[in-house]
Amino acid sequence: MSFDVQMPTSEEGLVSLLSKESSHILAGGTDLLVKIRLKRVIPKTIVSLRHLKGLDRIEDLGDKMRVGCRVTISELLNSEIISRHARILQMALRQIGSPQIRNRATLAGNIINASPAGDSIVAMVLSNASLSIGSANGERYERVVDFIRGPGVTTLSRGEFVKSITFEKTDVLFPQFHKVGQRNSMAISVASVGSLTSESEIRLAFGSVAPTVVVPIDACEYYSAEIDSFDEERFVELAMKCVTPIDDVRATAWYRTTVVRNLIHRTLKVWRKKGYNAV
Amino acid sequence: MKISFTLNNERFSIDVIEDMRLLDFLRDELGLTGTKEGCGEGECGACTVIIDGKAVNSCLVLLPEIDGSEVTTIEGLSKDGELDTIQKAFVDQGAVQCGFCTPGMIMSAKALLDKNDSPSDEEIMEAIEGNLCRCTGYYKIVQAIKAAAENLRNTNGK
Repeated sequence: MSFDVQMPTSEEGLVSLLSKESSHILAGGTDLLVKIRLKRVIPKTIVSLRHLKGLDRIEDLGDKMRVGCRVTISELLNSEIISRHARILQMALRQIGSPQIRNRATLAGNIINASPAGDSIVAMVLSNASLSIGSANGERYERVVDFIRGPGVTTLSRGEFVKSITFEKTDVLFPQFHKVGQRNSMAISVASVGSLTSESEIRLAFGSVAPTVVVPIDACEYYSAEIDSFDEERFVELAMKCVTPIDDVRATAWYRTTVVRNLIHRTLKVWRKKGYNAV
Repeated sequence: MKISFTLNNERFSIDVIEDMRLLDFLRDELGLTGTKEGCGEGECGACTVIIDGKAVNSCLVLLPEIDGSEVTTIEGLSKDGELDTIQKAFVDQGAVQCGFCTPGMIMSAKALLDKNDSPSDEEIMEAIEGNLCRCTGYYKIVQAIKAAAENLRNTNGK
């Protein structure tokens, strides 16, 4: 490792440092330090958010919530307003890493990492999250689904940083997050299915079964359109259209396909059994 | 880069190598070798220390990041040659086999018990889920943390 570390206190200072070549932003460092060690990232400058003023709050904006880029996973798990209005996010965040990782890692970092397996991304897609992205030219806004372009690829360009994440409150919808991994803690998903359900609406998102977290739009539309003549097999068939997994070190494509199909059935079963009373 | 921090109740204000990990600083610069390096990527928890009351992997902390923080390592637990309550409980309960995971395990337990001296089994398991032990099967470690919690409650007069 050979790089210098900068710790700007203002956003102006931050964006001017980020415009330099090979500068990398450090929030929790739980991914970046591993990548540096594996020489997948070779930085000249690390720009730490440690002394940055602000962007460390969880705010209630009425029907939405905003989370600053410095807010850690542990802070979100301990937050009362997140417990009340974004249970799906907490369910997903509980699946991330270990206490040590959750104490450092940030929600913004997990999104920017753009992993197809990103647990928080599933919850954020379900909650129609968008990002506020700052740069020397001001601020732009982008939905998380549009921001992530592929595995590890986002629309973030040099000199830009994610300031905050804004997402809908989803109190009225029944949340579920099902994940299959290899170990209880620290497990990267083999496949995950997140959902938010009511009698007239279902939102579904899958992790680890395509190059990005995916939403089976056809299945979600079918659910709303065919409330009276709902056919579970038809629904699952439509949902599986966006499932295009790969073989990798964690699982084969065949296994992922089988797992995700079972998790979709489980999602409907849990909703039918507990849904109406639990909401 | 000059940074200030507290380590095991001692104030430091020193020039540091910017691209060094906290783990390497503790072990190589200060000789505090109680903190172990296992995987070096946050999977095993052998390098766990407490920063501002929270358990973290010191292999994933860049040294300048501890500026303004309070850091506790396993060496900060014993006082005047006496082991602290959690360390004693690990010895008494036979929760140590090869010992490599023990410092990290104890630091995770301490981060838990400092906030909650009556943890459920589930809370204990969650607190140590980021610490791998390849010898014990975890049973005695959980027993030790429960025993330590009880001793702490007795000391605190509950």
